[in-house]
Amino acid sequence: MILLTMVARVADGLPLAASIQEDEQSGRDLQQYQSQAKQLCRKLNAQSPDRCTLEAGDMNFHYLIAQGVCYLSLCEASFPKKMAFAYLEDLHNEFYDQYGRRVPTVTRPYSFIEFDTYIQKMKKSYVDSRARRNLGSINTELQDVQRIMVANIEEVLQRGEALSGVTKLCQSPVRP
Amino acid sequence: MKNMELIQHLLKMLKTDYLLNPLQRQYENVHRVAEPPGGPGPAQLSPSLAAMSLQSSTPEALRVVNLLQERNLLPPTPVPAPTPCLPQDLQKINCNPEVFRCTLTSIPQTQSLLNKAKMPLGLLLHPFKDLSQLPVVTSSTIVRCRSCRTYINPFVSFLDQRRWKCNLCYRVNDVPEEFMYNPVSRSYGEPHKRPEVQNATIEFIAPSEYMLRPPQPAVYLFVLDVSHNAVETGYLNVFCQSLLDNINALPGDSRTKVGFITFDSTIHFYNLQEGLSQPQMLIVSDIEDIFLPTPDSLLVNLNECKELVQDLLKSLPTLFGKTMETQSALGSALQAAFKLLSPTGGRMSVFQTQLPNLGVGALQSREDPNQRASAKDIQHLSPATDFYKKLALDCSGQQVAVDLFLLSAQYCDLASLGCISRYSAGSVYYYPSYHHQHSPAQVERFQKDLKRYLTRKIGFEAVMRIRCTKGLSIHTFHGNFFVRSTDLLSLPNVNPDAGFAVQMSIEDNLDDMQVVSFQAALLYTSSKGERRIRVHTLCLPVVSSLSDIFSGADVQAMTGLLACMAVDRSVTASLSDARDAMTNAAIDSLTSYRQSVLTIQQPGLLAPACLRLFPLYILALLKQKAFRTGTSTRLDDRVFAMCQLKYQPLFYAMLMIHPALYRVDDLTDEGALNINERTIPQPRVLQLSVEKLSREGAFLMDTGTVMYLWIGRNCHPNFLTQVLGVPNYAAVPENLYLLPELDTAESQRTRAFVGWLRDQRPFYPSLHVIRDESQLKANFMQNMIEDRTASALSYYEFLLHLQQQISK
Repeated sequence: MILLTMVARVADGLPLAASIQEDEQSGRDLQQYQSQAKQLCRKLNAQSPDRCTLEAGDMNFHYLIAQGVCYLSLCEASFPKKMAFAYLEDLHNEFYDQYGRRVPTVTRPYSFIEFDTYIQKMKKSYVDSRARRNLGSINTELQDVQRIMVANIEEVLQRGEALSGVTKLCQSPVRP
Repeated sequence: MKNMELIQHLLKMLKTDYLLNPLQRQYENVHRVAEPPGGPGPAQLSPSLAAMSLQSSTPEALRVVNLLQERNLLPPTPVPAPTPCLPQDLQKINCNPEVFRCTLTSIPQTQSLLNKAKMPLGLLLHPFKDLSQLPVVTSSTIVRCRSCRTYINPFVSFLDQRRWKCNLCYRVNDVPEEFMYNPVSRSYGEPHKRPEVQNATIEFIAPSEYMLRPPQPAVYLFVLDVSHNAVETGYLNVFCQSLLDNINALPGDSRTKVGFITFDSTIHFYNLQEGLSQPQMLIVSDIEDIFLPTPDSLLVNLNECKELVQDLLKSLPTLFGKTMETQSALGSALQAAFKLLSPTGGRMSVFQTQLPNLGVGALQSREDPNQRASAKDIQHLSPATDFYKKLALDCSGQQVAVDLFLLSAQYCDLASLGCISRYSAGSVYYYPSYHHQHSPAQVERFQKDLKRYLTRKIGFEAVMRIRCTKGLSIHTFHGNFFVRSTDLLSLPNVNPDAGFAVQMSIEDNLDDMQVVSFQAALLYTSSKGERRIRVHTLCLPVVSSLSDIFSGADVQAMTGLLACMAVDRSVTASLSDARDAMTNAAIDSLTSYRQSVLTIQQPGLLAPACLRLFPLYILALLKQKAFRTGTSTRLDDRVFAMCQLKYQPLFYAMLMIHPALYRVDDLTDEGALNINERTIPQPRVLQLSVEKLSREGAFLMDTGTVMYLWIGRNCHPNFLTQVLGVPNYAAVPENLYLLPELDTAESQRTRAFVGWLRDQRPFYPSLHVIRDESQLKANFMQNMIEDRTASALSYYEFLLHLQQQISK
């Protein structure tokens, strides 16, 4: 399940678009994760790894940075990493196509909130059980997910510095 | 960063947009915000408030009027709002009274002084009113007082270039570096010239810290009564057609969603998923435990599913054409609607034509028709069940507002139903005896109201806070909302036709203060997903003498606030308590005037000129549908009038309370206005007494939502032929509700005048042409408040009564 998706400008963390899982159950608990997502986007910079997974309790944040834009999703820990990154990659392709040129110029938060409609559709197609069965057919040129850095969200946010470099943040598995 | 880089960086970050007409979807490019002529505004680098002396009390406001002798009190044109007694450069940029108004434009220095004056202290606001000019600021920093969080405004003082003093809590704040640059004048070092400090009404684009979640899309859910009774009224045709006509004008963007629920004894949902060949109806009959039959596609993206939506709207009226269902499970329908809307928030529009009689929230017909003309207390003004209030609070928590359209000929217990809108920041629309054939004027009004309702500006997931200068405190709120914490109003929807009022007290003496300020801040998400903050700031002088307080009294604002207070009192205590309280307000304030302000005692009933209309307005309230006794009044009509008194902005509430009467059979171009090359006659406003009517004339009465055109029995044939297009009085049709477009000078003048009155308000007043024999004559005559009736005093008798009480 993909619960939260956020697209933000890396340079200053300005939110560009977002989508939240719309159903009765999950909506309420996402407040804390949303706040973490916002904070995380603000901490990213040019030195941050362009793909990363951050563990947050029994959820994972996955993000991908491309062309100065960060694509972040919050997924259940059981959601396959490969799918999460394929999803983010797809989002990037579409978002960059539609809005890429304008990203450096906007000042208002969520200037591209209308991208939400696309995010929802994309999300559905990845979460739909048939898609999961087609795991194998997902673009294998995708960067080997094993080499994607894993860290703990709490520790990243508490540290004063921005996420940067692989060596500094090698972590042991997180306590739930 | 070096200065040049800083300035370049700031140039990129800062921008001021000047929205010329927010009603248009397009925003004009950057324009300069006009600076007031004659140099810097009041928040200068060297504040000199101490040097400014208050103008002496306007002689006119305190001119002594003997109400028993002066009979022609009404000004010829609508009563204007009083101007606060401030130095000109402050008053020039003060908040528009149509947006923000106080009952006393000169604030008493102490609570004991206020108590002596015996006048209510409160604010009336219309914060989201449609504005033709609204400065909008996009800034990386929104400058607010670090202590009380007040937004910087025209009435702060700058101690020097770098420090500003809050006008609400007097804390000294630093001016942020970015604020030192003025994007409008492109100069540095003059923070007092920035638009935030030059405009009492301003809107900010909010940064993401002002959002609890990403901005929600516009979501519109329509909940429709489709019982036999509903189909009989024919409202469904009008609704569906209206929505079809306006489907592309619903405020929103590409994310806008719509959905439909119909109900009778069961709840019906509509699957409108893109790709279906036609809408699919899903019926849930388990109304005791309502659930959503499918997780998706009940609320759909409007752009993508437009054809299906249109198909549904075209087929709905006939779908239930043969229904024999008489039951109405409104409560369950509302619960279902709530489930559907709660993940996102949005607007629920409910159309009901009968008393809900099945399932949760079912109501009893508790009105006793024999009690309608009761001279004693009126029962059943409070809700019969807390179901609707509870549901409204749940809705409010999920950013859902519920608007209620009641179209019924029978009692529907609006006192209970109305709660669904009251606490969720919704609005109530009422069309008693709506019928597509029998009440064409209602049909026309419904159509026009729907058009306004569907297309007007709307704000979502909003909150509003009202702050005032230290020493003053707000203790009671009036309007449709939920008070979430001490002074935070939760408004799932905010619309441009909603009014609010608050009552205040003076907790600490306002010594050493020459002025006080009030600020209303409304944080909302626009229909296009932009988070914005609209800020209004009002500044008023503080005075220490009773005569100054009296000279600053705003008689209309006082009336409006008293009406709100009386509605509350009617429900919590009793109607007769409320009536007494209103009369006492007149007695007490005039007694205080007589004893403490009047220097020379004279016989008669004396009032200062600024309060000369007060007894008239109080009498008007006592005779208003909401509060009158002894005249047959349907309970729902009464409750709706109460709702309107609390909800409407002051201007419309005053028309409701004291309608405007004009003679229109002798309109001339003398003194006419010239607007857009049309000549608009300006007839005098007349007193509401049959004395002013004449059999030879025709008179227009404007009550805000309804207009009556009364034709005298011997009305000049010229008017009949040239304006109404009929040969004689007998030929005036019974149910005429529009003026024919005749090519005569008289017809043009009359229509120009009526059109001009209508254009001034966003909703559409219906027009009824009536003769003496008309059924509506009673409605017209009931507004003749100066006359005596079987159950109420005449204006003169009321004055005598007041005089008697005052002399005790």
